Amino acid sequence: MRDLFVYFHISFETNHSLSPSFVGFPPCPTHNQIGPSWGIFTLAIIPRDDEISALYYIFFIKVKLEKLATIKEGKNDKWLDAYHDPVASIYTFTQCLTLSDIQADGDWKLIVADLGTGTYDMKLKVYKNTTLMSEHTIIDLPTGVVTFYMDTHEPRTPAIAVASGPYIYVYKNLRPYFKFTLPPLNIHPLEEDLWNQAKDDQVNVYSMREMLENLRQEGCSLTVRSLRLLQLESGHTVITCLDTMKKSVADEDAISCLVLGTESKSIYILDPEAFTVLATMDLPSVPVFISVNGMFDVDYRIVVSCRNGCVYTLKRGSKDVGKHMIELNSQPVGMQRINKNIYVGCMDETLHCFTSKGKKLWTVRLPASITTIEIIDYKPRSFSAVLVALSNQEVHIYKEKFLVDIIKMDDTVTGLKFGRFGREDGTLVMTTKRGGLYVKILKRTAKFEEKALSAGPPVAQNQKLNVPKKTKLFVDQTQRERENAVAMHRTFQRDLAHLRLKVMREYVKALDNSMNPISSDPMEPLKLSAHVQGIGPTFKFTVKLQNTSLSQASSNLLITFDYDNKLYDFRKKLIQVPMLVPGLTYDFETFVDCLNDKGIAENVKVYVLKQGKSVPLITGVVSMPVSESIVVV
Amino acid sequence: MGFFDSLAQWLGVKKKEVNVLVVGLDNSGKSTIINHFKSPELKSHEIVPTVGFNVEKFKSKALAFTALDMSGQGRYRNLWEQYYKECDGIIFVIDSSDKLRMVVAKDELDLLLQHSELNNKRIPILFFANKMDARDSVSSVKCSHLMGLETLRDKPWHICASNALTGDGLHEGVDWLTDQLKDVLEKKSRKK
Repeated sequence: MRDLFVYFHISFETNHSLSPSFVGFPPCPTHNQIGPSWGIFTLAIIPRDDEISALYYIFFIKVKLEKLATIKEGKNDKWLDAYHDPVASIYTFTQCLTLSDIQADGDWKLIVADLGTGTYDMKLKVYKNTTLMSEHTIIDLPTGVVTFYMDTHEPRTPAIAVASGPYIYVYKNLRPYFKFTLPPLNIHPLEEDLWNQAKDDQVNVYSMREMLENLRQEGCSLTVRSLRLLQLESGHTVITCLDTMKKSVADEDAISCLVLGTESKSIYILDPEAFTVLATMDLPSVPVFISVNGMFDVDYRIVVSCRNGCVYTLKRGSKDVGKHMIELNSQPVGMQRINKNIYVGCMDETLHCFTSKGKKLWTVRLPASITTIEIIDYKPRSFSAVLVALSNQEVHIYKEKFLVDIIKMDDTVTGLKFGRFGREDGTLVMTTKRGGLYVKILKRTAKFEEKALSAGPPVAQNQKLNVPKKTKLFVDQTQRERENAVAMHRTFQRDLAHLRLKVMREYVKALDNSMNPISSDPMEPLKLSAHVQGIGPTFKFTVKLQNTSLSQASSNLLITFDYDNKLYDFRKKLIQVPMLVPGLTYDFETFVDCLNDKGIAENVKVYVLKQGKSVPLITGVVSMPVSESIVVV
Repeated sequence: MGFFDSLAQWLGVKKKEVNVLVVGLDNSGKSTIINHFKSPELKSHEIVPTVGFNVEKFKSKALAFTALDMSGQGRYRNLWEQYYKECDGIIFVIDSSDKLRMVVAKDELDLLLQHSELNNKRIPILFFANKMDARDSVSSVKCSHLMGLETLRDKPWHICASNALTGDGLHEGVDWLTDQLKDVLEKKSRKK
């Protein structure tokens, strides 16, 4: 924790009851990232009897740079670095990461669907506590991985479902178990006709091709075979997103259904035991991110974000998707839901939060573009937050709309998962763009405070001030104020003006006489201070001279003294000053004898002269202490 | 202590009593280790996750140990500091096969060492790098390095690999701790 002290001290010297002497401001260190916030000084004048005295108030303001300073240093006080492997060669994203206890032994595993290079080397990897436990090759690009309970056999081990192309591969006990294929789409009758004709050789290839092309342009989705004939990419419908939904009971290990979204703009809900399609829903656009809440047999909500930039909510039994539709300003790159709030990250570097009804609660602008979003729902400390991975190699943690933490990484994070890993509850697993795998564990003592990093009113503002009770005197004074308001104001303003005038006059006089110990001449930047040591009759008089410029040296200077020579005798009356190097303080000493033993003390003036100038550069006034009597032995 | 108690201790008949705190992460093997030292008729056949803590007594050479077997689960770890004041020695059990949580064990150890009650006391700490029989377990040397034990200078410490199920390495560790505690007790009685 670093504290930045900013202070100034002003006092004045005149011949009256005010006593000033200009000292000046010390240089204030600045920090590149955080600008210091300057303190305030106020002038308060309190009429004391009939005289005006001025009290100068100086405020010291301390700027705490704690949180931001530690983050800039790279140390994080909330996360422990458990495992980091920058060459793990895992290329994946959030939807293909999951944490689950697939062997029912209390040791939760990390299941990763690795995209490999995109054309080959796609694998399903299972990590047990930093070592790879098993690997299975997947044929097509995976788009989602979930674990779900398929049955009620003991021990309760969940199965892994990997969505890849139009298939879902189900693994049980780390062995391939079942492969589910999406139901085929309905064939357009015209198309069917055409193919039947082709079968009987009744139609020319070219005319067939033209008819199919027309059909396609009219907007019907064609079958795989037709598309192949037209030499188009085989666009058989692909699963785009995958999630689970509890079937009838809300227990942790109850049977769940699979919910999947496809390229053909529909959502399927599958029964886990027989893998039949329980329900289908149609959407206006292709679903990209899905979040499911509820139970199939009772009531459920499916929140889907689609490629047309809208977020739809589907209810059990209702076919109307337009209700509670959220339209986004730019494409979504991540969507998560905590309780009733939907968090959407968009391509325009913003994070939005909506209610389940579609009302926007808040928006946060981020410093870089979002790569992925994940939620933290840490029940032991009832802490919910949104993790946002950015393209500037940071992961931001937002609790409501406040940034509570930043994790700095070596690489852009593409996959995030928070949950139980191994035996530890609060684990954050991250995969990066270059294929690294990083695991961080939340510290037991970590506290996430809202408003920790955002600018706002300081906490002290919320504390109640101890205001004293009203007294009779106070009431009387208020009464007096009310009666003599005008007169009081006039007197005050007149006195303030007088004070200002006096101060200005003295200041001008001081400048003229070079009476201040700081030089106002930019050619000769000097600072003078003097002090006296000793109890007398001999004192040691030390003059400290400092060159305050940054690069210019001062030369040809002399120090001399003005004193009453009946009272004091200076042993060195003139001191020649060598060249002053900028920044260093030079001491010049001389001894002063007090000639009078009657205990009178007077002021001595110290002049710094430059050869060639008749007016001293700077002057200092030193009041000599009372000297002890001369001892006659 | 009464007259007869002090007489018995002076005569060497009754053993000196020491309090030892057994801490470490959950599933590291604390209860299993303590179970090994109990006399055969008191031994439990099945070790279950400890809730809160258990108090066990066992004898070793010249000392009578009262071991506070604390639970290592996250929600019970803040109980440990309640007992720092009264303990004479600490046994810290580490699961050497759990590389992922080694950093959590290190964090807990740091919190323990920085606590006000233990900061200035010259208390002996015995580390068990348990589960040495596991396939991917870490050696005791590597374990001490991961836990940052080379920076621990103001307290006497010792690490040994152990297998709590068979009992390997346990006696070596407790013998060291016994010697350390005897020295401490002697110094205390000399001061009195």
